[in-house]
Amino acid sequence: MTTATSIQLLAPQCVLVFTAIVIFVGGAFSEGRGPWKQLGIFGLVMSGLILAQHQRAFETLLQHNEVAATFGPVSLDLLGYLASWLALGVGVLLVLQVTGTDARGPAPEVIGSLLLLVAGLMLAAQANDLVLLFLALELISIPTYVLLALARPTPAGREAALKYFFLSILSSGLTLYGFSFLYGVAGSTQLADLYSVAAGPLHAFTSLPLLVRLGVLLVVAGLGMKIAIVPLHFYAPDVYQGTSPAAAAMLSAVPKIAGVIVLVRVAAAARPDLGELGWKLMLGLSVITMTLGNVLALWQRNVRRLLAYSSIAHAGYLLIGLAVWLAVPDKSVAGSGHPVTPGLAVSGLSAALFYLVVYSVASLGTFAAIGYLGRPDRPLDTVSELAGVASSHPAIAAALALFMFSLAGLPPLAGFWGKLMLIIRALSVDVGPSAISPGVRHWFIVVSVIAVLNAAISAAYYLRIIGAMYFRPQHGAPAADGGLGTKLATGLAAVLVVGMSLYAGPALHGSDVAAESGAVPLPAAATPRARPAVAQNGQPSVAVPQLSAASR
Amino acid sequence: MMEFSPQHLLLWSLALPLIGAGLICLLNDGRPQRARTIALVTTLLTLLVAGRVAFMFPANGINLESTGGAFALTDASWLGKISGLDVRFSVGLDGLSVWFYALSALLSFCCVLLSWESIHERPATFYSLLLMLLCGMMGVFAARDILLFYVFFEFTLIPLYFLIGIWGHEDRNYAATKFFLFTLTGSVLTFLGLLTVVLVNFSHTGDLTFSIPKLTAALGPVGGHPMPLHLQLWIFAALTAGFAIKVPLFPLHTWLPLAHTQAPAAGSVLLAGVLLKLGTYGFARFNLPLAPEATAWLLPALLWISVAGIIYGALVALAQTDMKRLIAYSSVSHLGFCMLGLFALTPLAVQGGMLQAVNHGLSTGGLFAIMGMIHDRYHTREISALGGLARRTPWMALFMVFFTFSSIGLPGLNGFAGEFLLLAGMFQRAWMTTGPGGLGLKVIAVLAVSGVVLGAWYMLWLVQRVFFGPLREPHGTGHGHGSHDELGHDLKQPDRPLVRDLSLREIGALVPLAVFIFWIGLCPQFFLSRMAPALQEATQPAAAAWQARQTNEAADRQTALNPRPSVPVVAETSP
Repeated sequence: MTTATSIQLLAPQCVLVFTAIVIFVGGAFSEGRGPWKQLGIFGLVMSGLILAQHQRAFETLLQHNEVAATFGPVSLDLLGYLASWLALGVGVLLVLQVTGTDARGPAPEVIGSLLLLVAGLMLAAQANDLVLLFLALELISIPTYVLLALARPTPAGREAALKYFFLSILSSGLTLYGFSFLYGVAGSTQLADLYSVAAGPLHAFTSLPLLVRLGVLLVVAGLGMKIAIVPLHFYAPDVYQGTSPAAAAMLSAVPKIAGVIVLVRVAAAARPDLGELGWKLMLGLSVITMTLGNVLALWQRNVRRLLAYSSIAHAGYLLIGLAVWLAVPDKSVAGSGHPVTPGLAVSGLSAALFYLVVYSVASLGTFAAIGYLGRPDRPLDTVSELAGVASSHPAIAAALALFMFSLAGLPPLAGFWGKLMLIIRALSVDVGPSAISPGVRHWFIVVSVIAVLNAAISAAYYLRIIGAMYFRPQHGAPAADGGLGTKLATGLAAVLVVGMSLYAGPALHGSDVAAESGAVPLPAAATPRARPAVAQNGQPSVAVPQLSAASR
Repeated sequence: MMEFSPQHLLLWSLALPLIGAGLICLLNDGRPQRARTIALVTTLLTLLVAGRVAFMFPANGINLESTGGAFALTDASWLGKISGLDVRFSVGLDGLSVWFYALSALLSFCCVLLSWESIHERPATFYSLLLMLLCGMMGVFAARDILLFYVFFEFTLIPLYFLIGIWGHEDRNYAATKFFLFTLTGSVLTFLGLLTVVLVNFSHTGDLTFSIPKLTAALGPVGGHPMPLHLQLWIFAALTAGFAIKVPLFPLHTWLPLAHTQAPAAGSVLLAGVLLKLGTYGFARFNLPLAPEATAWLLPALLWISVAGIIYGALVALAQTDMKRLIAYSSVSHLGFCMLGLFALTPLAVQGGMLQAVNHGLSTGGLFAIMGMIHDRYHTREISALGGLARRTPWMALFMVFFTFSSIGLPGLNGFAGEFLLLAGMFQRAWMTTGPGGLGLKVIAVLAVSGVVLGAWYMLWLVQRVFFGPLREPHGTGHGHGSHDELGHDLKQPDRPLVRDLSLREIGALVPLAVFIFWIGLCPQFFLSRMAPALQEATQPAAAAWQARQTNEAADRQTALNPRPSVPVVAETSP
C-alpha cells in the first residue's frame, strides 16, 4: 500500500465520475429514457468493488497498530473508509428511489448528478486538506442544484431549487471565508499543519486562537446550513415541500453526512484552540435545533415538510455527540492529570457518527416509501393522504412504521441505540470521570433531559403518520405509482434498519474505530513539519499573554 | 427432547410467543380461524412452560444465593463490549417478578379465548401483536439487565398502541396516541434516571455494568457506595416519572380511563392486568433499593399520594355511567392500595401490596373480560342501558359477582389476603411512628380503610344495576349473536334475537382466573413465601433509612425539649 498514489485512492470516485460522464453524454444522444438507473447502480457497485480493495490495506494498518495511512491531500483512514461505504450505500438507496417527473422514469442528468454527489461525498470523507474539502463540498452542491431544478416542474419546485441555490452559495462563501482564516493561521491548507500550529507550545500566548475560533465559527455557520442547524435551517421546510420525495431524501442525507464529516475534520484540527467555545457552541445549537425542529414538526400537515422539521431535529440530537467529543479532552490534551479512559475520549464522536448512519438510512427509507405511495408527477402531499395505507399496502406501511419508530427512538430499533449512545455519553460527562470543571458539567445533564423530552415530543408526530396509516379508514387509495425502484429502496432501507437494530454491536464498533481515527487530524504526507507557532507573528510580546488570557 | 431445566424453560417461554407471532404472519390467509388457533396453542404452551417455571421457583429463596437471588438465570453477552458498555442479555426470575411473569402468560391465554369471536378485522395482525405483547411483558419481568429491561418496557408500548388504535372503540385513535405519548414521556425520564445510576456506579467502581443486581448491591447501603441524598432524590424523581405514570399514581392517571375504555377487551385486560404492574414492579425493583434515603425522605408524601389515589379513584368510579370507565377508575383506586402497601415499608404491608398487585391483575382482568363479553352481546358500555342481566345470562352474573367479591376483598378470596396484609402493615407503620409525623400516617391508614368501603360501594352498586333488578336491554341490539339458546328467552319480547349466556369458550377464559383467585385467597402463604425474601431485600434499605430518620428526629426533639445537656458539653469543649 505504501506505493499507492492519490489516484489509486481516488479510483472509486473516478469510477463514479466516469460513469456519470457516460450517462450525461449517452443521455444527450439517446432518445427516450435508457437504462440509466441500472447503469448508475452498476457504477456504484463497481466503485464499491474498488473501494473494497482498501480493506486489505486496512488490515495491514491495523496489524501495525496504526489507524491511517495518508497520502497528501487525500487521506485514507477508517473514518474516510467507512464514510465512503456509507456514501455508496446512500447512493444506491437514492438511485433506486429517484423518479422522473412523469411515468418515463428519471432523466439521465438526474442519475448522473446523483453519482457525482456520491463521488463528492466520498471525496469529502477522504480529504485531508482545506482546498480539497471545499472542492468536495462543491462537488456535492452543484449537482444538487441540477437535481432540484429537474425534480418538479412546478412553481413550488422552481422556488425550492432557487432558494436552495442562493442559500447554498451563501453557505459555501461562509465556509470558504472560514477556511481562509484557518489557512492564515496555519500557513498551509493541510489540516495537519493547522493542528501542529494550534498545538504548538507558544501558540496560546498569541492572538491566533481568536482567529482560529473565528474561522471555525464561520465554517460552522456555512456547514450549519447543510446540516440544517437551527438558525440556518429555515430553507429546509420550503425546499423539502417544494421538491420531489427523492430529492428531499437526498437533501436529508447527503449534505448532512458531508457537513458532519467536514465539521469533524476541521474541528479535530482546530481543536486545541477551541477551548470551551467548541462544545458550548455545539451544545447551544443542539438544544435550539432539536427543540425547534420537533415542536414545529408537530403542526405540519405536509409529509415532506414534517420530515424536514424531523430532519432538523435529528441534526440537533447529533450535535450532542459532537459537543461531548469536544468537551472531553482527547489523548493529546489529557496530560492534565485527569483520568481519561481509552475510547471514552472519542465516544461522543462515535455516538454522533452512529446516529448519523441510523438517521440517514431511516430517512432515506421514509422518503422512498413516500415516493412509492405517490405518483411521479404528483407526489403524496398531506399526512391524511396516508389514511388506510395499512390495508391497501401492508408491506410499505409496515416499513414506514418501522422507520418512524426507529426515528422516534423506540427500542429495540436502531434509533434507540443511537439515542442511547448519545445520551449515555452526555451523562457520562457529568457523572463519569472527565476533566470538565464541575461548574459547567451540569449543562450536559440539562441537555440530556431536553433531548429525551424531545424524543417524546417527536413521537407525537411520528405517531400521526403511523396513526393515519393504521387507524384511519381508507378514502381514495394513494396512487402507489412510484415504481419498482422506490419499493426496492424501501425494502433495502428496512432491512438495514432491522439489521442495525439486531446487530447494533458491530455497527457501534465501526463507528468507534471511525471516531478513533477521525478525532485527530492525520499527519501530512511527509513527516509533519514542526513549525514554531509564533514564527509568523513576530516575537511574543509581554502584553500578548494577558490579552489571550482574557480572550480565553 | 430438549432439557427441562428452568433456564431453558424460561428462554422457551420468551421465544414461544415470537415463534407463534411469526407463524401467524407466515400462514396468514386473512381469516380468523387459523390465526386464533395458532395464537391459542402458543399462549397455552407458553402458559404451561411459564407455569412450570413459576412452580419450580423455590419457596423462601432457598438455593438462590449462588446466582445472586435469581432463578433460572441466563446471562449472555448481547451487543458485545462496545465502547466499554457491557450490555448483556440477562434473564432470570426472582421473588419480585415470578408471579407477574406467570400472570402475564395466564392473562394472555384468557385474552385469546376472549377475542375468539370479537375480532374479525385483520385477525392475523391482532393475534401476532398480542403474542408480541406477551413476549414483551414476560421479558420485562425477567430482565436482569437495565437496558434489556428498558427495551422490553418500551417495546410493550408498540403492540398495545396498535391493539388500542386498530381494534379499539369509537375514540381509539386519540386514546392510543394519548396512552403512548403519556407513557413514553415518563419512561424517557426513567431511562435517564437508570442511565445515571449506571454511570454513578461506574464512577465509583470503574465497572460500566448494566446488571440490575450488581447495581443494587453496589449502590445499596451494604455495598459501600450509597449515593448522597440530593442525588438519590433526583434519581428517585426521574425513575418515578415513568413508573408513576404506569401505575398510575393520582395526578398522572388521566391517560388510563381513556385507554382502558377505548381498548378492545383483550387490550383492557392486559393493560389493567399486567402493564399497570410494571409501575409497581419498577418502584419495588429500582426506586426503593437504589434510592432508600430518598424514599424515606419522601415517604409521607408518597403515602398521601397513594391514599389520594384510593379515595379519588373510588369517588370518581361512583360517578361513572360507563361500565369500563368505572372499572378503569377502580384500577386507580386499587393501584393506590398496592402503592400504599409498598410505601408503608413494613414486611407485612409490602407483601400485601405486591400480592394485591397480582390480585388486581386477576380480578380486574376478569372484570374487564366480562365487560368485553357484555359489549360483544349488547354493543354498549352504558350502565343505564342494561339491567337484570342475571335473568338472561346467569353464568355471566355468577362470574361477575365472583370477580366483584374478589375485587372488594371478600374473605376467602384473594383480595382479602392482599388488602388485609397491606392495611395491617400500614397500621403497624402508623402506630410505630411517634411524633408529629405519626398522626399524619394514622390519618392515612384510616382513610385507606374507608377506601375499602367505597370500593365495595361502587362495585356492588354496578353489579346491582347491571345484573339485578328488572331486565333492561338496549333496543335493537343482540343481532349477530343470536344463537338460538333456549335458556334465556324473554316472554315479553319474543321477537327479539336472544342473547345467549356464556359459551364454553368464555367460561374457559374465566375459570383459570377464578382458580387462582381461590388459590391465593385460601392459601396465600404459597405465593407470599416465594415473594417474601426478595421483597425483604428490596425494601429493607428504605425501611432502615426511615427508621434512622425517625430516630434522628426523636433525638432532635429530645434536645429541643431538654436543652440542658448540651450546655455542659459546650462548656467543656469550648476552652
